[in-house]
Parts: sequence; C-alpha cells; structure tokens
Amino acid sequence: MTNFKHMKTKISILFSIISVISYSQPNADEILQKVDRNMSSENRVFESEMTIHGRRSSRTLTLRTFSVGDIKSYTEYLTPPREQGTKMLKLENQLWVYSPSTDRTIQISGHMLRQSVMGSDLSYEDMMDNKKLTDIYEAELIGNEMIDGRNTWILELTATTEDIAYASRKMWIDTERYVPLKEELYAKSGQLLKRSTLSDVVLIQGRWFPKTIVYKDMLKQGDGTVFKITSIKFNEVIPEYIFSKAVLKQ
Amino acid sequence: MIRFLIKGLIRDKSRSRTPVIIVTLGVLLTVFLHAYITGFMGDTIELNARFTHGHLKVMTTSYAENMSQIPNDLALIEVGDLLDKLNEQYPDVKWVPRIQFGGLIDVPDENGETRSQGPAMGLAMDFLTGNSGETERLQIEKSIVRGQMIKKQGEALLSESFSQKLKVEPGDVITLISSTMNGSMSINNFTVAGTVLFGAEAIDRGALMIDIEDARTALDMYDAAGEVLGFMNSGFYNDEEALKMAKTFNKENNISEDEFAPLMMSLSQQGNMGQYVKLTEVWSIYISMVFIIAMAIVLWNAGLLGGLRRYGEFGIRLAMGEEKDHVYLSLIYEAVFIGTMGTIIGTAIGLLLAWLLQTYGLDISGMMEGAAMMFPSEIKARISPSDYYIGFFPGLFSTVLGAMLAGIGIYKRKTSQLFKELES
Amino acid sequence: MKIALKLAYRNLLGAGLRTWLNVIVLSFSFVIIIWMKGIIIGWDYQAKTDMTNWEIGGGQYWHENYDPFDPFTFAESHGTIPEPLKKEIALGETEPTLIVSGHIYPQGRMIPITLVGINPEQKILKLPTHMLDTQITTIPAIIGLSSSRNFKLGKGDNVSIRWRDVNGMFDATEILITDVFNCNVPSVENGKIFMPLKKLQEMVVMENEATIFTFKNEKTEREAIEGWTLKTKEDLTKSVDDLIKTKNAGQSVLYAVLLFLAMLAIFDTQVLSIFRRQKEIGTYVALGYTRREVVVLFTVEGAMYSILAAITSAIYGIPFLIWQANVGWTMPIDSSEFGMAIAQTLYPVYSAGLIITTVVIIVIVTTVVSYWPAKKIAKMNPTEALRGKIQ
Repeated sequence: MTNFKHMKTKISILFSIISVISYSQPNADEILQKVDRNMSSENRVFESEMTIHGRRSSRTLTLRTFSVGDIKSYTEYLTPPREQGTKMLKLENQLWVYSPSTDRTIQISGHMLRQSVMGSDLSYEDMMDNKKLTDIYEAELIGNEMIDGRNTWILELTATTEDIAYASRKMWIDTERYVPLKEELYAKSGQLLKRSTLSDVVLIQGRWFPKTIVYKDMLKQGDGTVFKITSIKFNEVIPEYIFSKAVLKQ
Repeated sequence: MIRFLIKGLIRDKSRSRTPVIIVTLGVLLTVFLHAYITGFMGDTIELNARFTHGHLKVMTTSYAENMSQIPNDLALIEVGDLLDKLNEQYPDVKWVPRIQFGGLIDVPDENGETRSQGPAMGLAMDFLTGNSGETERLQIEKSIVRGQMIKKQGEALLSESFSQKLKVEPGDVITLISSTMNGSMSINNFTVAGTVLFGAEAIDRGALMIDIEDARTALDMYDAAGEVLGFMNSGFYNDEEALKMAKTFNKENNISEDEFAPLMMSLSQQGNMGQYVKLTEVWSIYISMVFIIAMAIVLWNAGLLGGLRRYGEFGIRLAMGEEKDHVYLSLIYEAVFIGTMGTIIGTAIGLLLAWLLQTYGLDISGMMEGAAMMFPSEIKARISPSDYYIGFFPGLFSTVLGAMLAGIGIYKRKTSQLFKELES
Repeated sequence: MKIALKLAYRNLLGAGLRTWLNVIVLSFSFVIIIWMKGIIIGWDYQAKTDMTNWEIGGGQYWHENYDPFDPFTFAESHGTIPEPLKKEIALGETEPTLIVSGHIYPQGRMIPITLVGINPEQKILKLPTHMLDTQITTIPAIIGLSSSRNFKLGKGDNVSIRWRDVNGMFDATEILITDVFNCNVPSVENGKIFMPLKKLQEMVVMENEATIFTFKNEKTEREAIEGWTLKTKEDLTKSVDDLIKTKNAGQSVLYAVLLFLAMLAIFDTQVLSIFRRQKEIGTYVALGYTRREVVVLFTVEGAMYSILAAITSAIYGIPFLIWQANVGWTMPIDSSEFGMAIAQTLYPVYSAGLIITTVVIIVIVTTVVSYWPAKKIAKMNPTEALRGKIQ
C-alpha cells in the first residue's frame, strides 16, 4: 500500500516535470538561433592543439587561428617543426595553403577539397562548410537525452537543398547553455558518416564554449581526431591584412 | 686401341674435322638456344621484378596485406638497420629501398599561381648514391626523351606525355602535393631534369620519379621506405632460392606477432606472379625440348651419314681379316670421341655466346618506336646450370646412336658387298 | 630443267633413309615455325577477343571528358543518352554504362574505387551481370577476382561504400557481393565494382545518363555524336599490338636457329653426297652436261628436300595443326594451387599468308644452302672426277 502511494507520488512528480519541460520547450529553430548566438562571434583568435590518432602513432599539431564569422579564417601551424610556418587562408569559398619550404601558395579546389586535413578525420571540405545551418536544413526537435550528466535536446536537421554534403544531421544541444554536445552527420541513405563529440564546456567572456571536440569518421577504423582549444579570445581587433593572400608569403 | 683410333681420326681430316664441326655447331646451337629461351621467357618476370616486385620484397606485414593500395602509413621504418641486416644475411642479393606514392603535380605560372595540375603516380628510388644500380636496372638512361638523368637532390623525371599534358620542359619547376606518412599534406618543389617513356599508357599518363632521399623528406619518411626490393646478383629470378630466403627470414622475424614487423615475400608470392613463374618454367621446358629433339635428329642423321660413307673402308678392313665386332666397336669408339669433342667445344662456344648475350643483350629497340622502360629494349640470354650438360644429349648420344645404326650394316651385308661400296 | 627435276627426284628417293631423315628434320622446322607463329597470332587474337568479350564489345562511344586513367574526370564525364543511340539500346545492340568514383571501406580502410553501373540483362559483355538481377534489400554488386583478393571480399560478403551524388551530397550504403568473376583482362576489374545501372543512376541522381556506350557489332561507319568520342576497336586494342610486336621480335631468333639447324642437316648431306658421287659427276660431264648444269642438278636435288619436307609436313602437320587449333595449347599447371581457373589455353590461328611465306622462305634458304657446296663441282676436273679421285 505504501509502495503504491510512493509510486503514485513518483508518477505525479514525473508528470509535472514532463509538463514543465514541454511547456518550456522552444521550437527547434529558436534553439539553433540561440546556439548560433552563443557559439559565433564577431571574430575570434584562438590557439589549439590537434591530436591525430593514426594506426601506428599519434601526433599533435598546434595552430593559431584568426577568424571572422564563418567566412574568413586564417590559420598558422606553430608546431611540429615540420609543419611550422604552413598557413591556410579561407575566404568565402576559396581555400589556399602556403608552404614555406617551397614558397608556394596552392589553391585547394575540386577533388583536393576531399583530402583530409593533415591526416585527420576532417576534410578540407568539412572545414569549408560555412553555410548557416538554418539556411540549408529544416530543424525538428525529436527528443531529450542525458549526456555526461547534462540534459540535451535532440534536433534532427533535414536538408532543404540538394547541393550540400550531408543529407541530414542530428545535434544534441545542452538545454541550459545552448552548446552542442554531440553532432552526427548522415548520408542520404541514413547511414551515419561522421560523429563529433564536444566537451570541456567553459564560460569564456560570458559565453559557454566547448574546448574539446573529437571528430570521427565512422566508416573508417581508428580513434578519430581530438581538437582542443588552449586559449581563445572573442571580438579582438584583427587587422584586415591578415585575411589577404599577401599574408601567406610573409 | 683408343689411342690408335684417335690418331686415325686426327690424321684423316675427313673423318674428324667435318663431323666434329657439325656436332660442335649442333651443340653450340642447343646450348645457346636453351640459354636464350630461358632468358627470353623469363623476360616478363624480370620486367615485373625490376619495376614492382623485386626478386624478393620486404614490407611490413600490414603493408603487404594492403599492397595494392600502397599504404605508406604502414611503411617500414628504421630501414638503414634493416638494410644492414639484409646485406649481412643475404650477401648475394642487392637490396634497395623504394617508395611508391600518389600525389598531385602543380605547375606554377610566373606569379606562382597554379597554371596546370594533374594526378601523379610517384616512384622514388636511389638515384644518387651511385651504388644501387637502380638507373641501369630500369634502363632509365635509354628511356629519356628530353633532358637528362636526375643528377642531384631536388630533381625529378616526368613521363613524357605527362610533361606534355602539364606543358613543362626540362628545367621547369613543378610542385608535388602529396601526403606524408602521417597523412599531413606535403608540398615540395622539384626541378624537372628530364622526361622518360615507360611504354605503358597507364603509367605514362602521370608518372613521376624522384630520388628516395627527396621522397623521404617530402613524405616525412625519415629512414623509412614502403618497400625494400631484393635483386639476386645473378641478375635472374630463382624461385626456389627466393622461397627459401623468404621462409627463413620470416621465421626469424616472428612476423605473426607484430603487424609492422618486416615480412619478406618472393616474387612468386606476390599477386599473380606465382602463376606466371610456373607458366614460364613450363613453356621454357617445352620449347627447349622441341629444339633438343630436332637437334638430336640432325646429329643422329650426321652420325648415320658419317657411318654410311665408310662402308667401303669397312669392306677392306673386313677383307683384311678384322672381326666384324671389332670394326663395329671401333666405329662406336670413334663416334664417342667425335661426340665428346664436339660437345665440349660446342658447349664452350655456346656458353661463351650465351654469356655475351647475357651480358650485353641483343638490342631490339630498333624494331620498336623508341626505347621505353616497360618494354625490354634488348633480349638477353640466361645461362642456367643445365646449359653445362644439356649439349651432351644431342651431341654425344645422338651421334653415337647414329653411328650404331649405321654400323648395323656391317653385320647385314657381306664383306664383298661392303668392299664394292668403295667403288660406287 | 625437267630432266634435272626428274633426276633429282630419283636420286633422292634412291638414297632412302638418308633423304628421309633430312626431310623429317626440315619438315619439323615447317611445322614448328607455323605452329609457333600461329600461337603468337592466336595469342593476339585471343587477347583481342577477350577484350571484345569483356570490355570493349564492337567499339565504344566515350563521353568526351572520360579518361579511364584519371578518376578525377569521372565527376564531369556523364551525359544523357543521346537520341541516335536510344533505338539500339532498346534492341540490346548497344549497352550504356555509367562510371562514377566512390570509396569502399573494407576492414575500416578507406579505398578509392570506381562504381560501374551496367544493365543486368546485357548480353554484349561476358560479365556475369545476371547475378545483379536479384531482389534483395542491399544493393547487389559483382567484383573481379583480384579486387576480391585486394579487398578481402568474397561472395556473400557485405561492405560499406560511400559516394556523392551529382550535387555532391554524400551517400553511403552497404552492398552485397553476389558474385566474384574471373577474367583475363586486368583493366576490366581493377578497382571496379559493378552494380545495376538503374540503381547507380538513382544513387547518384543521374537518371538516363551514361559514360560509355558499348556496341555489340563492329560497324565500319559510326556517326559522330556531339559530346561523345568514338573509340573503334582498333583504337582500343592498340596496347595488344604493341605487346605482340615485342614477342614477335624475340621469337624471330628462335625461327632463325630452327632454320639454321635444318640447314645444317642439308649442308652436311650435300657435302657428303658431292664427295661420294664424284664418279657420277664425272659421268654427267662425260655425257655432255656442262658443269653449270651439274651444279644446277645438285642444287635442285638439295632444294627438293624442302619440297619433300613441305609435303611430309603437310601429311602429319596439317592434322597436328588443326588438332592444336581445336584443343589449344594448355599449360599443364595445377591452377587450383592459386585458387583460380585462369584460361591457360592458347588456340593457334594460322593464315594462308603465314603458311605461304614460311614455305617460300624455307625453300629459298634450302636452295641457297644446297647451291653453296654444289658450286665446288664447277671447279672439278671432269677426268679426275670420272676416275673417282678425291679432289
């Protein structure tokens, strides 16, 4: 009898929680917009470490990046010595790589975009992907899930145009901080192609930001690529020459 | 009696000189031809060995499993030590490191912007230390269409049609975009030293050759190599030997435990080559057999004729009271002597000729439009151990058999009849 | 001359066994040279037949951007089936194939591959495309034996492939290997996966598009179609011609040695018969023959060996060569050791031209070789010869 009573209270509590959640549940587009507001900024300057797990060994590269919105970005490799001085410049839909040893600037285009970046599970094309999600996908809230003790909304994004790489995505968004904690990219057939997990969410200059991202190509064997931000500053003053091709040769 | 017979043979030139010359020529042809067929038939095997398979090839176990994809991320490391070990253990084999790689060739215009681009298949080998023998092995010098050989670091050879597609001349700078052993993008400049013709369209479309040290720098493969190829010092593939070497090497290195441990494979253990090696052996045996049989008939014929023409002489000898058996036997002894003499001289000259053809080769490039790396520009003989005794079959046995058959007449005919043959 | 021929014939037959030994050796040369040449021609023929059966049919149209050696061109090398070909395709006289690039993931390794869409009902190529005609949930695909080995995939295995459609959108799925075929033409199967054309067109959103059209019949006149390049059978088999050329060069040494061998026998016989028949020569001269005529007689005698040899070789050679052409030349190798059943049989092909040239060359060479020792007769002193005195 007591058991039954207990259960009853439990159920009623559960019900009230669900009703609260569903009441406070915003629509998917609103969530995406809030995520956007949190994650993107006028510009940012950050240093990061990229650890690539190979079949034989792992190695870590460090890089410094300046970026403005999703459109312009400039990256310089700091270590290891072999990659030091290698620079990458992305302007709109174009990408150039500069190699100091040959003093040549090569535009990465066509099939070269499909190559992996420095042997990671990320392709140049993935890097170039700068279209606003809300422009090319239709989002739908499909559920909730706990990830590492955080409550998340699960969004399903379905492509509205044809000329994009991934037909659909799934995103797990922290319900409080509006930070994605997991993302999955799917093929047209529904097969999972890539998964990224985001963690180490910290508050920087008033924003929640995931400092560690693990990318994994799901069809390939291996442990994926770990991308860790070591320092980040938002809304700095970045001189305009940083985003010109001339900067590559300096 | 033998001394007497030999004396007779040497003094009567008609009985010795012509038959010995004929046997010599016959044996010479047999030996030479056998060496030639062995060389000619083995040619495709050697071509494959030189380009991709080696007589032996050492790779990591996991590289070997994915050999067709040229997975340089699974390449051998600490190749210097490995080479030392291989050289010590197998001194009769020349070991050379090679790296195959894929990439993109980008040609800059005067502003350093991309002017033309094309996918490339790269082959890196030791061009510069001067003791690898690689340039001779692939007859690169002969296949150069324009420009010259790689003479220093930072130079590259392009296939002729690739260079035309990219519109580059010897002396121009090209950029190789490839990925390192770790998968990073690598960008390196090379100066085109010259252009070459391979002779196979698939390769001529986009081949690049560079020195192995340049490749190691470019692909971040310090002291590493995709493959170490072994070439037997004899210059020819010996399947039995190769299989034995591979077996002992793999046993010692306990390859089952470490996927990056070096694994040795003989040419016949790679791809379809085993099939081809068997095929070649069988073909060589068949063709040689046909020739040896034909040659045996010729020499048997010669032996027979040599006996027949002497019926008159036998008549006189029988008339003088010599035993038929003795006459017959002396005929056989003479045949043995002639056969042996002819075979020894013929084998010696045949081997000499075969050796010349093995060493210098017969240039057939005139029959084709220009020399190409993938097509043998010369035909080479190959001396195998059997060449030392193969001549005895037609040379000695056939000659003696011919004499034996001819000698039967001694028993069949009457002395007077034989005697009369002298008159006819 | 008629008398010379008659005399030569009688002399030869009179010599009995000696003649026949020479004839047999010479006829050996005939048969072997024709047979070996036939094998080479047969090889050429077979290589081209295999290409026809497996790869090129009676010729092809290629999309103008298609370059089989550069997979990067595949993205731009497809087009809608042109109007003039539609009727032939409906009749099965021409088959469209669509070629796109993709990746395969055997054991978690990413390997670039070429996806080939082909009609499962096609009858032009020997590919076992009927194995693609099954109703299963996954996409059926067939691969060649060497791909099967390289990717470690067998019949009944599933594997993931990834590709991009015409707009660049990624797609991936599992395919089921429904058959592994064995084919002598490496370029047919290397790095390729064959799947139903309709399915591939759907996968990449290229309805009614193709890269290559293969004809069944080799028509001499094919119209030019804009955007498509005509590749005749001749263009497509050029590599075989090049290979055969080198093989021929290598073999000519064998023919030379074989001929030399036969000539050795003839020469030996000629020297001997001139030596032994001095009295006969003297008699001819005494009877009013000029020495030149005697030389001719002996030369004809020698040359007649080759005629007799030709007849002899016809007697045993024709049945042998016909038998060979029918059963072929099979390498006695246990192919099961390699886990495959590669056709190891070459069928020789003989042409009238081949036979006539071989006969003419051998007759000429024999005549020259016969004349060589016979010209010694011209220097003989007839009286001495008549007395049988060795000169």
